[in-house]
Amino acid sequence: MLDNLGTSLKDAVKKLAGKTVIDRVAVDELVRDLQRALLSADVNVKLVMQLSQAIKQRALEEEPPKGMGVREHVLRIVYQELVRLMGTPGEVALGPQTILMAGLQGSGKTTTTAKLARYFQRKGLRVGVICADTFRPGAYDQLKTLCDRISVPCFGDPNEPDALKIVREGLPKYRKLYEVIIIDTQGRHALEENLIEEIVNINEISHAEHRWLVIDAALGQQASEQARRFHEAIGIDGVLVTKMDGTAKGGGALSAVAETQSGIVFIGSGETIEDLERFDPDGFISRLLGMGDLRALVERAEEAVSAEELDVNAMLKGKFTLRDMYKQLEALNKMGPLKQIMSMLPLGGMQIPDDAYDITSTKMQRYRVIMDSMTPPELDDPSVIGSSRIQRIARGAGVTPEDVRDLIKYYKIMQRALKGMRGMGGGKFNMQRMMKKFGGPSR
Amino acid sequence: MFDSLKKKLQNIRTKFASNIEEAAGAELEQPVTELPEGAEAVESGVTPAPPVSGEVPEKEREKPTFFKKVKVLVQEREVLLREKDIEEPLFELEMVLLENDVALPVTDEIIGRMRKDLVGQQRKIGSSVDDLVASTLRSALCGVLGEGLDLSHYIREHERPVKILFTGVNGTGKTTTVAKVGHYLQKNGFTVVIGAGDTFRAGAIEQIRTHADRLGIKTIQHQAGADPSAVLFDAVQYAKAHDIDVVLADTAGRFHNRANLMNQLDKIRRVMKPDLVVYVDEAVAGNDAVIRADEFNKAVGTDAVVLTKADMDPKGGAAISVAHTVGKPILFLGTGQGYDDIMPFQPRAVVSELLGDEA
Repeated sequence: MLDNLGTSLKDAVKKLAGKTVIDRVAVDELVRDLQRALLSADVNVKLVMQLSQAIKQRALEEEPPKGMGVREHVLRIVYQELVRLMGTPGEVALGPQTILMAGLQGSGKTTTTAKLARYFQRKGLRVGVICADTFRPGAYDQLKTLCDRISVPCFGDPNEPDALKIVREGLPKYRKLYEVIIIDTQGRHALEENLIEEIVNINEISHAEHRWLVIDAALGQQASEQARRFHEAIGIDGVLVTKMDGTAKGGGALSAVAETQSGIVFIGSGETIEDLERFDPDGFISRLLGMGDLRALVERAEEAVSAEELDVNAMLKGKFTLRDMYKQLEALNKMGPLKQIMSMLPLGGMQIPDDAYDITSTKMQRYRVIMDSMTPPELDDPSVIGSSRIQRIARGAGVTPEDVRDLIKYYKIMQRALKGMRGMGGGKFNMQRMMKKFGGPSR
Repeated sequence: MFDSLKKKLQNIRTKFASNIEEAAGAELEQPVTELPEGAEAVESGVTPAPPVSGEVPEKEREKPTFFKKVKVLVQEREVLLREKDIEEPLFELEMVLLENDVALPVTDEIIGRMRKDLVGQQRKIGSSVDDLVASTLRSALCGVLGEGLDLSHYIREHERPVKILFTGVNGTGKTTTVAKVGHYLQKNGFTVVIGAGDTFRAGAIEQIRTHADRLGIKTIQHQAGADPSAVLFDAVQYAKAHDIDVVLADTAGRFHNRANLMNQLDKIRRVMKPDLVVYVDEAVAGNDAVIRADEFNKAVGTDAVVLTKADMDPKGGAAISVAHTVGKPILFLGTGQGYDDIMPFQPRAVVSELLGDEA
């Protein structure tokens, strides 16, 4: 059923292709399909209506930028509006902090608490967990078992009925010993006044830096109301979406984001303790709509608008620095394999050495990390990089000096290739177009 | 729990009624221009009725559809409902259902039924519009909700021990439901044993054991990580040996898109041969409720449904969705954290309550 929705949305998008003027009927159709897709992903009805209004209005009123087709224009609007709906990903600081977990019964707080503990542990922080769920039988055993597996201490007492007492006792003790303290609480819902009061009290005595709301991906329209009450009670500043490994789309989380004015911090997507991901808006949108290529489509569209950032002329004069390469790598990352892109360029008989192609995406990723460890002068003029600098960069980036040399070698190949390009090809016009494509969207 | 839906549905009913009234009004007004020498007025009873002639002029015969309408109007004093008359309230009904967590396909179905039943209906002028709308809505809702199931009755009718297997995705409240159902059955005079078949989730065995101990129910359990089929097989053997009436089999939550886990569930089913497979889901679930209910039904079958956490949501739309998708009766609604917070589900009563009937 959901695949059908994705398909019908794609069909509606297809109908827009090739049109030169924006057609009210086609836009209406697209918006209707979008509404259906979002509604069946459990996005709040009111949010969907606002969103579709905004899209309709912008699609009909805004002029498409020059060089951008109607389809790309509308898609870009759809994408931008969706991203706006999504909110910014919540910040996760890697420092000392106390996190209070809140959520409905069975939303996955305990499992997520353990996953979070693992996350911070892997980031090198000392983590302690407090089990303030004094109601559900087995809650302490569950958390303790999970924490034992990753050797994280877990404070709690299955025989103590007062959650506040546990927090009051455990927190000062753990604050001295650990940097990150996560407090797991009992599941509760907005209509249970006494439980809401309990979490308000826990929040007060714990002075938690973060209060995160755990939302089951399958939660429906009720998400809004629940999130609103939790927000009123303790001021939610981040949303965790759990059970994304099922088929639920997680639209309810968007309602929660809208209600709490916060962002999604993590996504839980599996039963093992490692299955916790930072939130990625694009992946989330694809999932909501059941179509995977929206971002790619949009990016190709944006190329037409903002490809001018690379200093093409300077590069043509032979001034190709590591900075330029960094931008390229960023762009290439999004555009696909280098060889494929190069084959699209009007280079005539120009030969790029095979070594230049020989760069995988993991390698590219590593190169970027290495470049992040360089100083501005090094980026501007790589010739200053000597062996002691290589040592330093390698240490900073967590790689071997060979990797850094590898990068510099790659840079030299690219530079030579670009110098070779100068003075050949079909004149400046072609060159610039080529560079434009080469540069891609660098924002 | 159905309060909000109930209120909304009542608004919609009024809306339907007024639109149908308007449609009727329009039908009645039209002839006025056509027939200048209006004769005796027909009292419509609800709308201010414009005068309509008893004698239809010859030229009306040239427009058969219009004539038919007038004829119906005049002779049988009825109004023919057209699609556009009810389009707007139908859209509103659709929105109300969606907002109340009734899943999209189920909403479509209800709207479809309403449209089919209402369009082309000839309504007698003077008969209550409200009745017509109410009865259509009632039959549409009853149609999707299906029949309930009386568990006590079922157990009495079947050979003991009656084996009940609980299935569902993670965190819907299977374990709590098992405890509540155990308590409910005890109160109804049955003896119960619980099989701790969730051997995967940390703390699950402790959880069900604590519940069972509090309720004075025997639990059959193995170690964490054991084969759930074996645990539940033992539970059934225990029940046979001790003349226990009912075996309640808890299982680990699993997602329907995990083939291995679904196969494990299928194995459990083969080994313990349950009389009833009860699918547990939460009343606050959105559209995914439909998908997973369907997948579980396909993989291991579902005989009845328990909807938990109904107290979180005053709407209860998921109840309608899941019941419709599975096409299986809803056994219980879970309505709170106490052992008594479970209520048998009677669709007719729910529909009556939704539509605000006195009966």
